[in-house]
This record gives sequence, structure tokens and C-alpha cells, in this order.
Amino acid sequence: MSERMNDDAVAPTTIDPPDLTIVTGAAGWLGTGLVTALTGAGHAGPYHRPGAVRGLVRPDEDSRHLPEQVELVRGDVTDPDSLDDLFAGHSGTVDVIHTAGVIHPATSMDEFDEVNHRGTANVMDAAHRHGVRRVVHVSSNSPFGTNGDRTDRFGNDEPYHPYLGYGRSKMDAELAVLRAVDAGLNAVMVRPPWFYGPHQPARQTTFFTMVKNGRFPILGDGGQMRSMTYIDNLVQGIVRAELTATDPGQGWWIADAEPYTVNEIVATVGDALRAEGIEVKPNRFRLPDIAGTVAEKIDTVAQAAGRYITQFHVLGEMNKTIAVDISAARRDLGYEPQVALPEGMRNSIRWCLDQGIEL
Amino acid sequence: MTRAVHHDCDVLIVGSGAGGATTAAVLAEAGHDVLIVEEGSWVEQGSTVPFSLDQMDKQYRSGGVTVALGLPSIAYTEGRCAGGGTEVNSGLYWRPPEATLELWRTKYQIRDFASSDLLDICAEVESELSVQKVPGEHTDASDILRRGADRLGWRNDEIPRWMTYPEGAGATEGQRQSMTRTYLPRAFASGARILCDHRLDKITRSGRRATGAELTHTVDGESSAVTVAFRDVIVCGGAIQTPAILQRTGLRHRVGRTLAVHPTVKLAARFDDPVNTPEDVSVFQVKQFAPNISFGGSASHPGLVALALTDNWRDFGSAVTAWPELAIYYAAITSEGRGLVQAIPGVRDPLVTYRLTKRDRDLLGQGLARLAMVMLEAGAEEVYPSFKQAPIVRDRADLATMTSMFAASKASVMTVHLCSTAPMGDDERRCATDSHGLVHGTDNVFVNDAALLPEAPGVNPQASVMAIAIRNARRYCDERAG
Repeated sequence: MSERMNDDAVAPTTIDPPDLTIVTGAAGWLGTGLVTALTGAGHAGPYHRPGAVRGLVRPDEDSRHLPEQVELVRGDVTDPDSLDDLFAGHSGTVDVIHTAGVIHPATSMDEFDEVNHRGTANVMDAAHRHGVRRVVHVSSNSPFGTNGDRTDRFGNDEPYHPYLGYGRSKMDAELAVLRAVDAGLNAVMVRPPWFYGPHQPARQTTFFTMVKNGRFPILGDGGQMRSMTYIDNLVQGIVRAELTATDPGQGWWIADAEPYTVNEIVATVGDALRAEGIEVKPNRFRLPDIAGTVAEKIDTVAQAAGRYITQFHVLGEMNKTIAVDISAARRDLGYEPQVALPEGMRNSIRWCLDQGIEL
Repeated sequence: MTRAVHHDCDVLIVGSGAGGATTAAVLAEAGHDVLIVEEGSWVEQGSTVPFSLDQMDKQYRSGGVTVALGLPSIAYTEGRCAGGGTEVNSGLYWRPPEATLELWRTKYQIRDFASSDLLDICAEVESELSVQKVPGEHTDASDILRRGADRLGWRNDEIPRWMTYPEGAGATEGQRQSMTRTYLPRAFASGARILCDHRLDKITRSGRRATGAELTHTVDGESSAVTVAFRDVIVCGGAIQTPAILQRTGLRHRVGRTLAVHPTVKLAARFDDPVNTPEDVSVFQVKQFAPNISFGGSASHPGLVALALTDNWRDFGSAVTAWPELAIYYAAITSEGRGLVQAIPGVRDPLVTYRLTKRDRDLLGQGLARLAMVMLEAGAEEVYPSFKQAPIVRDRADLATMTSMFAASKASVMTVHLCSTAPMGDDERRCATDSHGLVHGTDNVFVNDAALLPEAPGVNPQASVMAIAIRNARRYCDERAG
């Protein structure tokens, strides 16, 4: 986490942290940032909590980067029996934060349904069985598709319009959460669009490299709007959703205060790289809108055939507006994003450099 | 055919709708000798049931629906009767948004177009038409829209109408203050004359001047020729007929090339109780996503309910017998597309085409899905979206099925707001008329109706049409003594 995480400016949450916090997907990008903040590893930030923090990590998953304060439990959301170990030998209040999910599957499209949908149903079942106090499910923008106009903003309550395989699996995950709520589970959802920040995986580092080389594909005029979520803002949103008393079954957009244009994103990354003394070539890689449409079609056909090609998927989405309105999270949770794109991107790039990642 | 009947006047006004009636009143009261010609008949308010098939037959062009060709084709309606669209529309009154007026002023270089002056005229119109909210009970169809939007936390408002009501009366007891009850009688009181059932065939022209008009008068299927001589002619035939008339007169510069509409898609929603009010529409509109998307209620008499179910008659058809439990709603969008109106020699009605952009098509799908969600929140048992192979929507998971199946090319897209086919402004590259409706390249041919609006205003346009028509008519009187 960045040093600057500062939550003084916003309203306090209303419920004390639990005795035990369980985080699925703890070794993943978001999970790593989250458990680091919750355990106060390195420094005691605003989200440090006294209770235990347990992380679910897959049996073969590398967990060496996780802080030692996190209790690791080996298991898999796709294996319901393995989840019982998460709750073993503990009394007192328990919350679950469910971050495990697949965004870009390594092998087959089936991973989407197995992990995102069935895995979520398994986690909700386990939480219900073990009398969990509150569950926060990390959803996504993808069950809701794209905005029809650049000035449109997704409100808190929107009709499902899933974007391809990932979107369908994340929608099915939401429906699984809502079924569990109907059965009596106290679960809520946060929906972050495209998040960024320290701990990011290699594919996001590629994004920096493309900008540095002036090779980031801007489709059309680059005026499409994208909401993004800096990881510290997302952690704040998750913790507030967990520790604010609300009715179960609700979901909130958690994002930076305002959406950005694609041009703005590319320019800001360029500026942040330059500020670190990195030479950035002017971006001249502009493609006509049709390139995005073609990529989307290829992606659709490939996914229908059970194949997933990251480049086409990302390019196919680039000419769309995905922009959200966070006012419900502000109103219901007291959420107030503290970091916007320039600072967030600077932190991301510094983190990459600190890790010895070559941009 | 016997020898043509001939009329003389100072000013010939073609059409008696929101543009023509207001123009006639302003000019007649300033002492001009005004003759109005109207293709349709004089139909007394109250002699037809509002929003009924009988009304469509008597007061609309082509019995109700005409089609703008394209993918998808867009069905549209035009009033054809004394008073034009004001006799048959929903009567919902929206001032033009100030930001829209300001955009038009700068983008089209419209001179003397201060929004405050236009809004002052709006205030006069509101008083003349008794614009007001429903004093008593709302219809069930209104309450549904309000309830669904409230539960979602979406902004919604009751839109006032040009209606008068007995004290404390409910929505269905209003008396529509259309042109035949307001501006037309005012014009007649100052000496204006009207010839109904007179269709304009041709305006003759010599260089920059129009010299006369040739019309056909039809009574009981019998036609006779009529000629009119005038000093000036003001064309107020609406956004489809006005450009066709100008084109037949040989005036083509920027005429009929930039048709703008608010495309709409519809659904029918079925509730537990009888909610259908055949003779009225919802006075609430949902503006949470305005100006891009607006939701409102549509006319829902049994014939129109059947029409709304025809897109997937196999699955939806059985619902028609439950029509009292059904109401129809629309999602309207502001469109980035434009259309063409082209007069075809020897053919009575012009060819109209309209092209939706990709953004328009996406937005129609998003709008329809959001509207369906309003219905579910309001307690709808079943929602029947108006597009081919549409699924019945009963819960939120069904919405995902619906959005994945939607394509604008499969939808029944229609519109009632047509404008911008003779846009006004000093920018001759964009506009067909000057800043006050005088057709560029002529000395005495004016336009004064919805065709002048440079773009679709994003709200029900009648108030905008009337305010601009009155503004232009006053300028005309300032410049030409009666």
C-alpha cells in the first residue's frame, strides 16, 4: 500500500472490525493489497485491525509476498470442502471478504464459471454454514455491459447486460450472492471498475510499457470515458461496505471520484512516467473505431468457441464507455475516494520500479 | 372540374398546428389579412375519444402511422386536422432547456435569440394554454411510473399539461387546450380565415418571390381546384410536410436534409390489477438519465396494447385478453442520427429515411432495459418488450436475457417528435432559413414550425415550437406593417 493512505477526511464506519477476517484470493492482486492494509503490515494505516486475518491461498499458489501476519489457509473456492478449514478453531465474530476470481483465464473459458460463479456460491454457502457476520463480495462492472452514451453514468441499480464470458460469470456470482441473502446471509457487494495500483500483475505493467513506447492503441478520438479505481480507494470501499450497517443484498460502485477519458488516462500515465525520469515517446498509435469493433467480434467468436485471447478482449473493450456514479456509496457508506489518477499512477509506477520491474 | 375558386390575402399560412395557429393569431392581431389553409378537417375536441383508433383515423395522417425507412425503420405519426398535433398529442408541456437554446444560438448563429426572451414568451404561452398539473387523482398508469422510479431512487417529475380541469378533478377529466380552443379562435376574432380540407399542391415562384398557391379542396371525396394570391407565404406544415412543400417549390438548400427525432422503444407491462386507462397517458416522466434517455407513458387503448404485443405474438399474444391489466411505456433517446425528407414528383407523401447511429442503437437497448427495471420495481408481473423474439421479463435475471437478445434492428422504433428539416440561423452552410424563418434565397417565403428547430430539443417540443413561432411572427409584424 502507498504511504499516503489517509482516511481522516471521511466519516467513520459504524461497526467494530470482527475478531476474524477471512479474505479469499489473498495472494491475488487485490487480496494482497487488502490483507496488507488489514494487518497493518509495514505500518499501521487506517485499516489496520486488531483481529486475526486469514487468507485463502490455492495449494500451488506463490504466497511469499504476503505479510507474515496473515494466517494462510490452503484451499480452493472450487473445492467446497477445502473452505471449512478457513473457519476452523475460531470463535467470535467473523467477516468474509471474497476477492477470489478470474479476470483473464489462463487455459479455458470454463474457469470463468467454475471460479467466479460456482466458487462464489461455494464461499457464500460456507459463510452461511459457519454463521458469518457479514460478507463483502467483490463484483465488477462487467455484469452491466457498457454505457450507451459517453455522458451516461451507471447508477447504483442497473439492469444486467453481461459483457461476454467474464461478465456472465460475474453476473451469475451476483445472483448467487443474492440467493444466499434470500436464504438469510448478511452479504453485500462492491463493484469496482478497472482497478490499478501497487501489487498489480504483469499485464498492467504491459500497459505502462505500451504508453512509454508510444504504442498504446487509442481508438477513435479517445474521448471514451472509463471509470477506474485506485486500490486504496477500493480497500476503503470494501472496508466501509463491511463495517457500515446496511440492509443485505445491496451493491455499490466503488471507483475514483470521476471517470476519465482514454486520452486523459494515456496522458497521465505518460506524465507519471516522465516524472520518474523515464523517457516517453509521443503516442501516435491511433486506430479507427472499427478496429475496436473488429476486435470485439473476434473476441466474441473466440469466446463462443471456448477460447480467450486477452489482447482482443482488451482492445474490444477499449472503444466503449464504462462510467459509473459513486454517489450511492458516498451516501450509504460515507465512501470518499482519496486518490485520483495522477497520484495513483505515480504510486503504481514507483511500486513497479521498487520491485525492480523494468518498464 | 369547374373554374378554380380564388382567394386573396396578405399572408397565406399553410397549416394550423402549433406553428401555424400561433403565427395566425400574432399576425391577425397586428392587422394583417391572414388566410390559413389546412389539409385536415375541423374536428371538435370531445367528438373523438382521445388516443382512440377513431381519432387516429380522423385526425392523423394516413390513419395514424407512417414510416421512415432505415434499419430499423422508424414509424412516426403526424396530426392532420385543424390544430395539427396539438389536438392529439399527450399535452405534456416542457419549456426548451436554456442550455439547448444557448447551444442553438451559437452553433447555428441565430440572431436576437436570447433565451430569456424566449422563456418570457413561454410564460405567455403557459397562461394562454392554462398549463398546469393534475389537481386531483393520477391514473394508475401514472402512479406505476412514479412508484417504480421512486423505488430505484431515480428522478421523476409530473409534467404539466395544457389542460383545464374542474376543481379538484382527476387526470382523465382534463379539457385539452389545443389550438382549436386557443390561438385559432384568437386569430379568427381578429379577422383571420381558415380553409379546412384544403391541401396545398404547389407554390408558384418567380425568382426570389413566391407568386401564388395552388390547392385541392376535397369534400365528401369530391375534389376541386383552388388558387390563392398573397403578399407573403408562411409554411407551417410540420417537419415532414414543410420541407416537402419547399422542395416542390424548388427550394432545396438545406431543406429536408437534417430530420431530427426522438426515437423511442416500447414495452407493455402487466400488473395484478386493472391499470389500463385507455383515454389518457402518464403525466410522469423519468429524467434520471436525461437528456440521453427519458421514460414516459404511451397511449394504451386495447388496439395499441395488441400492437405492442405483435413483435413476439407467439409468446405474448395470449396476454392481449388481459389488456385491462396492461399499460404501455416508452424509452425515448436523444439521437445522433439524422434523416432525409425527399419530395418525389407525382407521389403525394414524401419519402422519409432515418439512420440511427451505433450509439443510438446501444442507447435504445440500455433505455429499454432500464425501463423494464422500473416496471419490475413498480410490481409488474410480466414485461413484454417490443422487439422481435423478445423474452417475457419476470425478474432481474430475465433482464440479462432481454439485453443479450436486444438489437435495435429487431425493435419497433417509433417517434412522435419530428423537427429540424428547415433549420434556422444565419449560418447558411447549415441552415435553410435566416434567423427568423425567411427561407434563404427568397424574399417572401417563410417557415414557422418544428422544421425550424435546429436540433431535437430532448423534451416534448411543442413549447419550443410555439415560443419560436411567436418570436418570429412578432419580428415579422415589426418589419411589415399590417
